[in-house]
Amino acid sequence: MSALFALKGVTKKYGPNTVLNDVSFEIGKGEVVGLLGDNGAGKSTLVKIMSGVVQADQGDFTWDDAPVEKMNRDITERLGVETIFQDSALVPFMTITRNIFMGREITNKLGFMKMKEMDSITAEVLDSVVTIEGIKSPKQLVASLSGGQAQAVAIARAVHFKRSLLILDEPTSALAVRATEALLNYLTHLKSDGVSSVLVTHNLHHAYQVCDRHIVMNHGRKILDVRREDTTVEELTAAVVEGAEGIRRYREGRF
Amino acid sequence: MSDRKSTDVDSPVLEVTLATEAITTQRRMSDAQASTGFGARLRHDLQFIRGRGALEISVVLVVLLTGYITASLISPTGFAFLNPNNLSGVISQAVPVLAILGLAAGILMIAGEFDLSLGANITLSAIVFIKTAESVNLWVAILAGILCGVVVALVNGAIVVYTRIPSFIATLGMSFFWMGAGIFINGTTPATLTTSRDETMVFLFAQDFGFFRSQLIWLIIIGVLAWLFLHRHRRGNHLFAVGGNPAAAEAISINPKRVKLMAFAIFGGLVGFASILIAVRTSSMQPGGSATEDFTLFAIAAAVVGGTSLWGGRGTVLGIIVGAALIELIRNGLLLAKAPGFYITLFVGVTIVIAAIFNKLMEGKAR
Repeated sequence: MSALFALKGVTKKYGPNTVLNDVSFEIGKGEVVGLLGDNGAGKSTLVKIMSGVVQADQGDFTWDDAPVEKMNRDITERLGVETIFQDSALVPFMTITRNIFMGREITNKLGFMKMKEMDSITAEVLDSVVTIEGIKSPKQLVASLSGGQAQAVAIARAVHFKRSLLILDEPTSALAVRATEALLNYLTHLKSDGVSSVLVTHNLHHAYQVCDRHIVMNHGRKILDVRREDTTVEELTAAVVEGAEGIRRYREGRF
Repeated sequence: MSDRKSTDVDSPVLEVTLATEAITTQRRMSDAQASTGFGARLRHDLQFIRGRGALEISVVLVVLLTGYITASLISPTGFAFLNPNNLSGVISQAVPVLAILGLAAGILMIAGEFDLSLGANITLSAIVFIKTAESVNLWVAILAGILCGVVVALVNGAIVVYTRIPSFIATLGMSFFWMGAGIFINGTTPATLTTSRDETMVFLFAQDFGFFRSQLIWLIIIGVLAWLFLHRHRRGNHLFAVGGNPAAAEAISINPKRVKLMAFAIFGGLVGFASILIAVRTSSMQPGGSATEDFTLFAIAAAVVGGTSLWGGRGTVLGIIVGAALIELIRNGLLLAKAPGFYITLFVGVTIVIAAIFNKLMEGKAR
């Protein structure tokens, strides 16, 4: 599996605090990577750096083996990185269609939107992508959707615009069991379209269910980077809860 | 190795779940498509208009109008609403100006900002229009008046956007500056239209056609343009996005600063145009005067009554125009019923507060 996106030696300091310390890893094409760790492990800073919102103090980035000079929002937009933050991805008092096409409207030469075309594409996208029930019409306001439905709309948007890397920040925390199940199933199906995704979560069981690889962060360092078949939920739990010490203890107990 | 196997066992189960869900989805969507009869579609559309301002306020307006017309038919002298003098002299001069100003304030509010120097902007733009009309000609004056409005609003906008001072404070302060600028340009005597107020100017901006005046035609033109822009153009879509959730807009690479500056520019253009209508109607403008100050809050009130959110991201062109008409009709009705001036302000105030509460309730309902 060739690497889509590689980070090397990423370091970030906020004043005297080193929130990320020499972090390196790769995300393969069509790979689902779980980014795990306790609160304060540096996950969200890492997400912000990957999505171009925050700049790293040090570190090299390569995309498709070509070096990326500077990471900012314009570059990541062009590369096709889409970050779905917990609750800031959509505009509540706009329709589903307008949210999906926000900033990427289908227009005529004068910039007027082709509403019918956008509505029918949205209906198709919702039919094919969102397997969460209860969305009645593309003209529905996002404010009237449940957390799961809104999350699904945000993901549908990213998929429709053929984004190459999806970063999902705690996507399951606001979801009901059924919606979570549908979302996780959906992530595994994204792989076949060659879309890579990073799943940032507290829930190890959810991560273990769908991720090909797991990266565990602890106090700003990467302490574990392991393929799914080489680890267990127990080892991941030990790593998240007790850090490097936990991994050592787990492996000693096992072997 | 054993984990690999378990994945393989899992995947058929996954596919079955997805397949069943796809079936339910398909049935649901085809249900929606089957009900495309006119009645069903109307009901469907009405359901989505509800809670967005325009429907409820339009019902209120129709009820009020019906009442006025009935009262006027019963007693043409006691309540002279349908009198041509009232329709063309009062209603069709006052409603369009407030509606255009309401659209200006509303577009800015949708983007999440206010401009409290609206009244001062009217004074300055009207003075610029009058002076240019007197010294150059009408066409240059029209351009100058509108351009003045745009420049004033863009300066305010730049201060708000780049310093991140709340627009309430920044534009309140600037309103004194622009009032002073009017005196600086014209001195303390009123600027007056004399020889330049010819037939062409009157025909364009204040012609009496019996039951309506030129201003009403301008309102229709501007209303259609504003609707096309706000509800059908991608830039209008960005305006709602930035006002509704700046973080989401930015995450999708819409630049909130640029969008807000655009909103200020449109605001300024509309205010500049309205100030031409006001100048031609009254033939003069007093620098530093308080005559235009009422417009600031009445314009915001028209937008709020019409369903525009004070927190940004919500509002409709139709709602704002209906809101402006409602305020002016209440004012007119009280005047015709010979209520003292004090009561007129009082009733308008109450209407605005009730409308704001109503909007708040509607926002909850739409969720």
